[in-house]
Amino acid sequence: MRRPGRGLRSRVSRLVAVSAVAALLATGCGGGATGGGADPASPKPPQLRMLYATAEANAEAVQNLVPHFREVFGIDLQIDTQPYDALQQRVYAEVATRSSYYDILIVDTPWAPALVRALEPLSGYLTNPAVNDVAPAQLEDLIPKVLADTAVYDADDEVRQFPDPATASDVAAVTGQGFDVYGMPLQANAMVMAYRKDLFADPAEQAAFAQRYGRPLAVPTTWDEFSQVAEFFTRPEQDLYGTTMMAGVGDWATDDFKSLLAGFGGDGRMIGEDLSLDFAGPEGEQALTYYHRLISEQRSVPPGTTAASWDETASSFDSGLTAMTFNYHSLELDPAVGGEIGYAPVPVAQARGPHFGTWMLSLNRFSQHKAWAYRAITWLTAPEQQLAMTADGLHPSRTSVYAALAGDEFYTALGGSLAEGVGRPRLTNYTEISRAIAVAVNTAASGEATPREALDKAVEDVTRRLTQAGYELPEAS
Amino acid sequence: MSTQELTRAAAPATPLPRRAGRHRRSGPWLLMAPTLVVLLLMTVFPALYLLRASFRDENLLGGSSEWVGFDNYGFVLTDPSALRSLLLTLAFVVVSVALQLGLGMALAMPLATRTRANTIGTLLLLVPFAITPAVSGLIFRELLNPNYGWVNHYLGISTEWLSQPTTAWIALLTLEVWAWTPFVALILIAGRQAVPPEPLEAAAIDGASRWQSFRYIVLPQLMPFVAIAVVLRTIQAFKTFDSFKILTNGGPGEATEIINLGIHRVALQSFRIGAASAFAVLLLIVLSLLVPAMLRVIKRYTQPEES
Repeated sequence: MRRPGRGLRSRVSRLVAVSAVAALLATGCGGGATGGGADPASPKPPQLRMLYATAEANAEAVQNLVPHFREVFGIDLQIDTQPYDALQQRVYAEVATRSSYYDILIVDTPWAPALVRALEPLSGYLTNPAVNDVAPAQLEDLIPKVLADTAVYDADDEVRQFPDPATASDVAAVTGQGFDVYGMPLQANAMVMAYRKDLFADPAEQAAFAQRYGRPLAVPTTWDEFSQVAEFFTRPEQDLYGTTMMAGVGDWATDDFKSLLAGFGGDGRMIGEDLSLDFAGPEGEQALTYYHRLISEQRSVPPGTTAASWDETASSFDSGLTAMTFNYHSLELDPAVGGEIGYAPVPVAQARGPHFGTWMLSLNRFSQHKAWAYRAITWLTAPEQQLAMTADGLHPSRTSVYAALAGDEFYTALGGSLAEGVGRPRLTNYTEISRAIAVAVNTAASGEATPREALDKAVEDVTRRLTQAGYELPEAS
Repeated sequence: MSTQELTRAAAPATPLPRRAGRHRRSGPWLLMAPTLVVLLLMTVFPALYLLRASFRDENLLGGSSEWVGFDNYGFVLTDPSALRSLLLTLAFVVVSVALQLGLGMALAMPLATRTRANTIGTLLLLVPFAITPAVSGLIFRELLNPNYGWVNHYLGISTEWLSQPTTAWIALLTLEVWAWTPFVALILIAGRQAVPPEPLEAAAIDGASRWQSFRYIVLPQLMPFVAIAVVLRTIQAFKTFDSFKILTNGGPGEATEIINLGIHRVALQSFRIGAASAFAVLLLIVLSLLVPAMLRVIKRYTQPEES
């Protein structure tokens, strides 16, 4: 005897099964749950699709290479670009829906811990000569610290950092320790100091500085010198200030803070692999005290600094409002200012550890054309292509490219900073953690809270957010 | 034709009306079916998914996804930042809607008279809320820049608008009021134009002042329109996001951290879907309680004799 409703359930099951097959066919996922086309002999697809950033990763530089790509590969590279926030949501959505639409995804460092399980591990490709036929990966040419920080992950424990960046290019060493390589770094960003060369070279300024401070005016190399030079150039009546800072609430304030934290001898990553909250110790307090003094006591920054981000600081410097600034990219003074820009690494106190982070090109695990997508990313990140892209402002990730650009002041400063840079902690909810720390930086900078109070509050917030995200903190935290 | 035949011809056979009646009953449903399906897919299903996700440790990017009961709600309800954000959001909604209502009324009354100038004025009112909130946020940020912004320049002041909690709130409320007061005004203009002139003429003959005419004749008849404006704007104000994200990003400190900024961060930057869903469900509950309560209050003023 048939049980009541069995016929209906059977019809529903059939309907669901048919719908599922139709959906799979419609989305092109029929080749398996994790995509296909990994065989080096896979036929060439008619086109590869790449999801990329906009100005944040110099999209124009990559887009200008598309005709050359077509000549080399005989196929099109379709590049879709999105601004930062929209891009993050799009990349996450592509991964969450297991879409095979994009073969290549651009991934920013803070997103990688959450995405790493959905990205194709590259060790098998890197060691297979058959897919390195168009452009070999040449891992050994990538700046070791950049490669290790950007692309080397343990997918089972995303918090772990690769212990020895110097060996990151050795695939066997990487996989031997449970890590893998998840992308090819491109557009390497590091905090670099820019300054008004014309002001520093002005004899009148030099004389005035020497008279006031008893030493020659020079580009500051220590944070103490930096504070003094910033104070010297601060003349509100002339609409001139010493420097910019990014103390507005946002990731930029955290970036400022972690560079100072590393400079004052702390762990610039802020949170250890054991989830110890390393930003809240004496070095953190010292860094915030310095920051507050520069901004709210010495007032060596333009008005509005406690609401400023990357955009405001770049505009302030470009318009001639400040003598120094910090940024990722090369700057350009407004023609009316008529000055000249020089570049240098961020100053040092006990150490130096400018904030850095790099975009990487990764293979979508669900792509149907992985072998060709791999060939595309090794070609796009090859030394020749990176060097060509510097004409449009790309920040290379290869040692050989920086060597070729040795005469360029900006690239020299950037290359040196990348070699010393300190990245972020690897957390799936880094945005929330960064936000909690940015609030502390902002309140300490404006004097709304003392550095100690601000850090204690940040410890509470960070602890709560890490716990909410499922992390188990050590007892001492 | 005999009377009986006429009656039989006039009265349809018994089964026919039943079938026609059934057809009449199912007809509208059939016509509405496509809309209902769309509604189901676009509204009901996401709402149910949201509710389900709020009880799970949902990981859309792969890995575990498990039932966690009320843990997500527990985190949200015991998170002082979340509760603070909710209170800030409520305060923002109350103040901004009240300001828009007051100013909207002040704009609507003179513009309701049908003249050519008023028609042009009414058209101009459309401009602010036709501008994308993100764009108006960026423009306001530039205008308020303490170094080269027009606001400080023309007022001859040196206020760091977005660096202090009070001035940051003034900036945000000004932007919101600028953007949405015209919307309220347009609704109230339509309401004022629907008020019949006779009672106003009678009141004028009886010597009533303009205020008395407005208070006792115009305002009671405007109340349904006020209700529409308040409910629509309240719901929209709860959804405000772009202006806060661009103008202050929740700062200085956490002074302007409204709940949508937190939901955006948790849901769309950390992709902690469970926690974000719990946030959203709680916001939905607050709205579901608030809107009917507001409607009851407004209805009391609309029909004073029944209260």
